[in-house]
Amino acid sequence: MGFLITTLIFIVAGVIASLLARICCNKGPSANLFHLTLVITATVCCWMMWAIVYLAQMKPLIVPILSEGE
Amino acid sequence: MGEGGCCPSMELFRSEPMQLVQLIIPIESAHLSISYLGELGLVQFKDLNAEKSPFQRTYATQIKRCGEMARKLRFFKEQMTKAGLTPSTRPLTRVDIDLDNLETKLGELETELIEINANSDKLQRTYSELLEYKLVLRKAGEFFYSAQSSATAQKREIDARQMGEVSIDSPLLLEQEMSIDPSKQVKLGYVSGLVPRENSMAFERILFRATRGNVFLRQAVIEEPVMDPMSGEKVEKNVFVVFYSGERAKAKILKICEAFGANRYPFTEDVGKQGQMLTEVSGKISELKTTIDVGLMHRDNLLKAISYQFEQWSLLARKEKSIYHTLNMLSFDVTKKCLVAEGWSPVFAINQIQDALKRATFDSNSQVGSIFQVLHTKESPPTYFRTNKFTSAFQEIVDAYGVAKYLEANPGVYTIITFPFLFAVMFGDWGHGICLLLATLFFIIREKKLSTQKLGDITEMTFGGRYVIMMMALFSIYTGLIYNEFFSVPFELFGRSAYACRDPSCSDSTTVGLIKVRGTYPFGVDPAWYGTRSELPFLNSLKMKMSILIGVAQMNLGIVLSYFNAKFYGSNLNIWYQFVPQIIFLNSLFGYLSLLIIVKWCTGSQADLYHVMIYMFLSPTDDLGENQLFAGQKTLQMVLLLLALVAVPWMLLPKPFLLKKQHQERHQGQSYALLQSTDDSFEVEAHHDSHGHEEFEFSEVFVHQLIHTIEFVLGAVSNTASYLRLWALSLAHSELSSVFYEKVLLLAWGFNNIIILVVGIIVFICATVGVLLVMETLSAFLHALRLHWVEFQNKFYEGDGYKFNPFSFALLSDEDD
Repeated sequence: MGFLITTLIFIVAGVIASLLARICCNKGPSANLFHLTLVITATVCCWMMWAIVYLAQMKPLIVPILSEGE
Repeated sequence: MGEGGCCPSMELFRSEPMQLVQLIIPIESAHLSISYLGELGLVQFKDLNAEKSPFQRTYATQIKRCGEMARKLRFFKEQMTKAGLTPSTRPLTRVDIDLDNLETKLGELETELIEINANSDKLQRTYSELLEYKLVLRKAGEFFYSAQSSATAQKREIDARQMGEVSIDSPLLLEQEMSIDPSKQVKLGYVSGLVPRENSMAFERILFRATRGNVFLRQAVIEEPVMDPMSGEKVEKNVFVVFYSGERAKAKILKICEAFGANRYPFTEDVGKQGQMLTEVSGKISELKTTIDVGLMHRDNLLKAISYQFEQWSLLARKEKSIYHTLNMLSFDVTKKCLVAEGWSPVFAINQIQDALKRATFDSNSQVGSIFQVLHTKESPPTYFRTNKFTSAFQEIVDAYGVAKYLEANPGVYTIITFPFLFAVMFGDWGHGICLLLATLFFIIREKKLSTQKLGDITEMTFGGRYVIMMMALFSIYTGLIYNEFFSVPFELFGRSAYACRDPSCSDSTTVGLIKVRGTYPFGVDPAWYGTRSELPFLNSLKMKMSILIGVAQMNLGIVLSYFNAKFYGSNLNIWYQFVPQIIFLNSLFGYLSLLIIVKWCTGSQADLYHVMIYMFLSPTDDLGENQLFAGQKTLQMVLLLLALVAVPWMLLPKPFLLKKQHQERHQGQSYALLQSTDDSFEVEAHHDSHGHEEFEFSEVFVHQLIHTIEFVLGAVSNTASYLRLWALSLAHSELSSVFYEKVLLLAWGFNNIIILVVGIIVFICATVGVLLVMETLSAFLHALRLHWVEFQNKFYEGDGYKFNPFSFALLSDEDD
C-alpha cells in the first residue's frame, strides 16, 4: 500500500465520520459545523501522525542492526 | 462586526451574543418573577445598590430570617447525624410549602426537639445517678457485711480466749482495748459514694491530711466504667466509704468530695433496710429505663419525619435566601411601586425571560405586567458558552488560563481534539491507552449514579474530566498503534516487516544490519526496529522531526485563528500588519524547516538540515554543495530570508502610526459634530465621557507593539523548541515502559520459578499503574496543557473576558455545601 492509497483511506474515513456525525446528531447548522470541525481536526491530526511515520521510513538512511547475542 | 459569508456561525467558536436588559417589575410580583428567573437561570443581575451595606438593603430582614432557618436546619442535621439518620434522598410527596409556614414549622419542630432533648438529658442523669447509687449500695453493703462478720468472728475469738487461760502471746493492749467503757464510745459517721479512679489516690491522701488521719477510708474498684451523671461520659470509678467522727470532720469531707467530683449517696447500716433500698432503686431504674426508651423512640420518630422532608426544606430555604439576595440588588423606581432590575442575558433567552415574567404576573394576580427592555451599553458583556457534559471539561481547560473576551474565537473548539492528540503523542502505547479507557469508561457508565454522590477531591477531579480522559485514551490507543507499542512490545499487526536479513545465514545482521526488502510497513513504526542497536537513533530522529512538524502546524493554526478574530472584529489593521507578517515570518523560517524535513524523507538525501538552516542565516549566498536537496534551493532560501527580515519591521512599524492616524481622524470628526449640534451636547458629552479615558499615547502604543513584535519573533524560535517536549516525553514513556517490561517481567520469567514470576508480575503491574498510568499521565497532561496555553493560545487568544454568572437555582444547590 502506497502513501496515496492510505491517504485516500484516511480521507474516506474522515468523510464517513463526518457523514455519521451529520446523520446521528443533527442538531441544527451551527452544531453540525462544530461536529464537522471536530471530525476534520481529528482526521488531519491522525493522518499527519501516520504520514510523518510513513514518510520517515520510506527511504531509510539507517537500517535496523540487531543487537549482539540475538 | 458579524460573521460574514456563507457558513452559519459555529457552535462554541464564539460565545453567545449577550445583551443588557432592564426589567421593571411591580413589587407584588417581584418575588415570583425572580423565582421563575432563577429556575430559568439565564440572567446575571447587576448589583444596583452596590453602595449600600447589607443591612441597609430592602430585604435584609428576610435574609436574616432565611439565615435563622438555615441555622435550624443545620441543628436538625446535627441531631440526625447524632441519631445515625441520613436525609432520605428520594423526594417523597412534594408538598408545596411557603416560607412563612416553613418558618413556623421549623420553629415548632426546633422547640419540640430541644424540649425532648432537655427532658431526656434530665432523665438520663437521674438514671445514671440511680445506677451509681445501686453500685454504692452493693459495694458498701459488702464492706459492712465483711466488717461485721470479721467483727463477730473477732468477738467470738476474744470471748473464747477470755473463757480460757490468758496466753502469753495475747496482745497486751487487747484487754484494755476491749474494756473501753461503752458509754464513752463515740458514734462514727460515714459518707459513701463514688469517686473517679484517677482521682482516688489524691482523694485518699487529701482526706487523710485534712482530718489528720482521723478517718477510715475503704475503696472498692468497679470493673466496668460508669456513666457520669454530670458529663454523660463513661468514667472508671471507685466506690468509697469514709468513716469519721465529729461534725467538723464531716464538713471537711463533704467539701473534699465536692472538689473531687465524688458523688455521695446515702446509705444505711441496717441490712434489712439495705435490701429494701436496693429493690426500690432497681425498680426505679427499670421504670426510668422504659421512660427513656419511649422518649428516645419519640425523638427518633420526630427526626425521621424531619429527614423525609429535610432536603426539600433546605433547598427551599436556600432558594428563598438567594431570591431575597437577588431582590436586594434591585433598585426602587421613583414611585416606589416597582423594582428595577438590570442584568445580562443571552440574546436567545429573550422569549424565555418574557414568558417567565408573564407567568409570574399571572400567577401573582398582579394588575400590572412587568416591562422588559433592552439597554444599549458600551460595557463589555460577559462571556457565555453553552457547553454540554462533553465539551464543558475542555472549556474548563481553556477557562483555567483565562476567560475568553466577549465573542472572541474560542480555542476550546480545537482543544477538544488537539489536547488529547498532543497528550497521546507523549503517551503513545495502546496497552496503556486501553487501561486508561477502561478506567474512564467505568466513570462514564456509572455517570448518573456518581454525579449525585459526593466524591473525594481527586476522584471528583477525575470524574469531572472523564470525557477528556476518554479522548486522551482513544488517541493514545491510536498513537500507540502508530508507535507500535503494547506495553512496549511491538506486534506485526499490519502486514509483515519491511526488513529482512541480507542472506540466508543472517551473518552480518549484527554488524551491517538488515535490508529493506519490501515496501514500507504500511501503518506505524516497523516492528523490526524494536530491540535493535539502531532503534534509539532512528526513533529519536523520527520523534524530534515529528515534534517540529506538529508544532509548526499547531502554531499556524493559532495564527490563522488570529485572522478570524481580526476579521470578526473588522480590524483590517490586524489582518495586514499583524496576521500577514506573522504567518510569513513563521513559515519562512520554520515552515521552510518542515518542508526540508519532508523533502529529505521523500528523497532519502543525506543533507544535514542543521547546516542548511544555520548557513541560511550566516552566509545565504554560499553554495549549498552536498546539502542541496532540490534545484533552486539557494534562491528560495534567499527569498525566504528576505521575507522574514522584512516581516519584522512590517509587524513593528505601520500599526502604531496607523492607529495614531485613525485616532486623529476620529477626534476631528467628533469636534466637528460638537460644533454643529448644540442641542445634543448632553449626548455628545456622555459619548465623550465614555471615550474620555481613551487618551492616545503614541509612545505607549509603540512600546506595546515593540514588545509584541519581540515576543513573537523570539517566541517563534522558543515555541518551536518548546514543542520538542513531545519528543522528550514520548521517549521517556517508551523507555520507562520497556525497562519495566524487560527488567521486571522478562527477568522474572527467566527464573522459571512460579513464585518469582508471580512477584515479578505484581511488581510489573504496580509499576505500570503507579508510574506509567498515573505519573506519566499526569506529566503528559501538564505538558499538553502548557503547549496549549502558551504555544498555541498566545498566537491569538486574549482571554481577558469575564464569565457569565447567572442567577440560577441549579447552580445554587451544589455551591452551598
